[in-house]
Amino acid sequence: MSELLIKNGYVIDPLNDIHGEIMDIAVRDGRIVESVGNAADIIDAHGMLTLPGGIDSHTHICGTKVNFGRYMSPEDMRAGRTTRKGDMHATSGFSVPTTYGNSYRYSRMGYTTLLEGAMAPMEARHTHEEFQYTPLQDCMANTLFDGNWQALEAIGNGDIKRLAGVLAWYLTASKGFAVKLTNPGGTEAWGFGNDVSCINDKIEHFNVSPREIITGMIEANEMLNLPHSVHLHCNNLGKPGNYLCTLDTYNSIPDLNEKRQSLYSTHVQFHSYGGTSWHDFCSKAEDIARSVNNKPQIVIDSGQVMFGKTTTMTADGPMEFNLYRLYHNKWSNHDVELETGSGIIPVLYRRKNLVNAVMWAIGLELALLVDSPWQCILATDNPNGAPFVKYPEVMALLMSKKYRDAEFATVDPATESRVSLPALDRELDWEEIAIATRAAQAKALGLVDYGKGHLGIGADADIAIYPIDVSSTDPTTDYETIINGFSTTDYTIKLGHVVSRKGTCSIDNSNRTFWVRPRVPDNYDMNHDPAFIDCFNKYYSMRMANYPVQEEYAVRNICIETEATL
Amino acid sequence: MKFIMNTGRTIRQGKHIESKLGSAYSDETGTCFMHPMDMLALGVDEKENVKAFTDVGEVVLTVVIDEGLPEGMIFIPYGRHCNAILPSTTHSTGMPDYKHSSVEIVPTIEQRKSAGEMMEEMGGVSYADN
Amino acid sequence: MRIIEDMVCPFCGCLCDDVILTIENDMIIAADNCCTVGNAKFLGKKRLKSPIIKKDGVWEQTGYDEAIQYTVDTLLDADRPLMFGWSGTHGEAQCIGIHMNELIGGVIDSTTSVCHGPSILAIQEVGHPGCTLGQVKNRADLIIYWGCNPVEGHPRHMSRYTVYADGYFLQNSFKERKVIVVDVRETETAGIADEFVRVKPGGDFAVISALRAIIRGKGDIIPESVAGVSREQLVRVAELCKTCKFGALFFGLGLTMVKGKYKNISNAIELVDELNRHTKFTLTPMRGHWNVYGSNEVFTWMTGYPYAVDFCRGVAFYNPGETSAIDILARKECDACLVVASDPGAHFPRACVEHMKDIPTIVIDPFQTLTTTVADLQIPVAVTGIDAEGTAYRMDGIPLKVKKALDSNYPSDTEILSKMYEKMLEVQWQ
Repeated sequence: MSELLIKNGYVIDPLNDIHGEIMDIAVRDGRIVESVGNAADIIDAHGMLTLPGGIDSHTHICGTKVNFGRYMSPEDMRAGRTTRKGDMHATSGFSVPTTYGNSYRYSRMGYTTLLEGAMAPMEARHTHEEFQYTPLQDCMANTLFDGNWQALEAIGNGDIKRLAGVLAWYLTASKGFAVKLTNPGGTEAWGFGNDVSCINDKIEHFNVSPREIITGMIEANEMLNLPHSVHLHCNNLGKPGNYLCTLDTYNSIPDLNEKRQSLYSTHVQFHSYGGTSWHDFCSKAEDIARSVNNKPQIVIDSGQVMFGKTTTMTADGPMEFNLYRLYHNKWSNHDVELETGSGIIPVLYRRKNLVNAVMWAIGLELALLVDSPWQCILATDNPNGAPFVKYPEVMALLMSKKYRDAEFATVDPATESRVSLPALDRELDWEEIAIATRAAQAKALGLVDYGKGHLGIGADADIAIYPIDVSSTDPTTDYETIINGFSTTDYTIKLGHVVSRKGTCSIDNSNRTFWVRPRVPDNYDMNHDPAFIDCFNKYYSMRMANYPVQEEYAVRNICIETEATL
Repeated sequence: MKFIMNTGRTIRQGKHIESKLGSAYSDETGTCFMHPMDMLALGVDEKENVKAFTDVGEVVLTVVIDEGLPEGMIFIPYGRHCNAILPSTTHSTGMPDYKHSSVEIVPTIEQRKSAGEMMEEMGGVSYADN
Repeated sequence: MRIIEDMVCPFCGCLCDDVILTIENDMIIAADNCCTVGNAKFLGKKRLKSPIIKKDGVWEQTGYDEAIQYTVDTLLDADRPLMFGWSGTHGEAQCIGIHMNELIGGVIDSTTSVCHGPSILAIQEVGHPGCTLGQVKNRADLIIYWGCNPVEGHPRHMSRYTVYADGYFLQNSFKERKVIVVDVRETETAGIADEFVRVKPGGDFAVISALRAIIRGKGDIIPESVAGVSREQLVRVAELCKTCKFGALFFGLGLTMVKGKYKNISNAIELVDELNRHTKFTLTPMRGHWNVYGSNEVFTWMTGYPYAVDFCRGVAFYNPGETSAIDILARKECDACLVVASDPGAHFPRACVEHMKDIPTIVIDPFQTLTTTVADLQIPVAVTGIDAEGTAYRMDGIPLKVKKALDSNYPSDTEILSKMYEKMLEVQWQ
């Protein structure tokens, strides 16, 4: 038995209606409890902002394309190196750090749970291998279905129950957490070098439209009673005028779940563009935010862009090829048979580049224009918009108009005519930041009941204690304090263990993998479905028996079993 | 006569890769494939031996006809024989010139050595009780 | 007698996973679906029975504990240890190798530096438009083999993934697919080509540049012949590339081991980039060892770099040509060498092997190899895919669990290396 008492912290715990109280938090054996004995270890959190551990609900940290980002970028590895020290292994990388680099740097910012945004099921073993070397966070991964042949075929036949069976099989086989669609239909079309334009074109051969894929998947997702909703990277990412496509998509989203959204729309900054070309490119964040404000069935994350060097990586292969043709930088692409694609290019977001400055403004506008922080999650689509180490700066920008104005003064002056950011006075408060960085993620992922994102009795003792004295800090002016305070916790506690102390991490080995196993009736169990097996045998280059991720790839894991309603 | 030395995998070399002290492995890696016109110019017949020289050493190889080779190039299956005469320079890339280095070749009546014998000449000792 | 299906072959980068093994009396007596080399690997028998140590120039048997201690002492005592090999073992062991190397501040390199190292340098310069092998199988109507000879090096590549494989979008794969082979030699693979392009030795870069020029509409500047290839044929090949629905370029050491090294690959990659403006085109290096690509994956997520990583300054430092095994040995820089699952004694130039003989060299390998003869200690281990298991990455990045067929008394690479690492940590804490 291990016990810990965190005394006198300034606690904000939105899911338990604690809006900033000086209180103690008791921890026993990794869980939050009512009280502990006198022998408990004590942490004095007096004068420190104490929050549930941070959660990133959309980041790219582990797996084939992330590792390829490292592999092809020695210049990025060189830009962030640390030596072995104490318990900490050496790390490399700035925008795509090594697994230890990710883990230590997230931990020092108080993050304890991470969702890898895109995992090709055929390459899932790789993601799970890297999870094991991400020792200070619980991890989970979205399984990609955007170009899954068996899923597309079921949708084409209008058989949503079969679709649910297919999803169940792949989620279980890949030890995935949720259904991810990246440019649905587009990645299959990219198999022959094509793409789709928004949601109404039918893709060749399978004769289904992105709209049918999205709505079919949402329906099937809810039949499986999964914790998370469908997680969507919309079509047309990064194209001027794409906001219409995004709005059209949002307008077709049904409201099917009482506890959470029916659609998680990710990195929406990249999908909120007006104009007809890069010449009249402008923000349409207001239109997107209005749509989200009217639709409780949608939660978004902002996909904030921050200036500087980074690496873009996504399953959206055709988009990365378009970017390559703009930047003429090095380009990698990796299509995955019967499933999905991916692409990578390094980029530099410049303050003096009008398009980049507008992108930066749009992310902030979304966070300020979506009324409820529960509906707009703070994320940079790490590392696509910026490396996650920029989160404290994003928080400070959202909390301080003064900081925003100071930054705005440094960007291309023409930005002002393309965005509404200078006119927005809203400044997020402490609680809104707490929601947008952990509570909203837990709710959107459906993990509140699994002890994430809050500090109620029974919750995982994942706690971040920041050296920020709320009583003496005015976030609207003291933005340097905000940035420094959120950059390095005094204590990051993971399942009751201190894993980071003022930025120095220690070994923990309690990291777990969360995954789902939906149970479906026998007639929808693809393990015994002749057509499913036949497709596997004929077209995959791997045997079906060798495909599922074996138990040993998720040493410590939480398997969320659900019963499908089919 | 000057040649370009090209080395590479063959199916037989792969097959015997886990018994490199056996004679089948040396039979393969001690082979020098050569175009028949070059053999004529050199005055060697198939199964006869040649000696290949470079700045770093010399090695005896057995000639086998390969009409698929261009004239002026020999091919030797990967192994100790070709590497005994391969310079270690990598031009700062980490990779030696395995498939493109210059060698001088003359006919010889000397016997070809096995890979194990060549290691022993270098001071290596094979383990007998295997 | 027992039959095990869907076994993974631990020989080449094809990582065929449809092998059927027949086991009798704790022996593999048949391996079906395998090629000749895979078959030889599964049926191979000549393993070392126990660790052996060389004392006064004579080999004698020793125990595992002694062997482990000797290795730990040797590596900790060294100023500049080199840990080389890794392509013939599973990823879990490679991870421990990285941790060990980080601890002792050594250089760790895999056989990558002597196979597709130059390809990685090129990818780091210009990227890599690739795909999984099943994508080629289902879609490609044009296959190019450039500077490689799959008939000898990857015997099932053509039947499983390319020329002869059935594909979803092809009615009759063999008839519909065009095959181009580019080589300096007329190999057996060249024999099945619709177009065999014979390049003069050292002329690949020029031929690739000529194709790029033609595809960019600058065909008029091409001379009558480029590196022995006629303009007529170059135009024909360029046209085949531009007009196919899905082209897949596979390339081998014929591009990485010749003059120009990584620049040949950069040029080939940019040719493929260019072709993607016209159609779909991908490129895949024909990786040799069954888990050489896995060593690159593991090294990368652990250190940030795919091979040739030097920890002597505490941080991971990477500079192939300086921190790669051949160079470090040829410069006589390292003063101890651990060889895991590879045979530099057979495959390295003479000067490198001579230096290995002059320094303490330790081999972890199931079989006596040529490296054994110049080593001071060898520790036999179980063979991954036969009596050990673990993760491997196919040449296209697909991770597979390589399963074991038999139990044996041999420890796995992971077990041996873990014990060494634990002992090193103990010394560090003392």
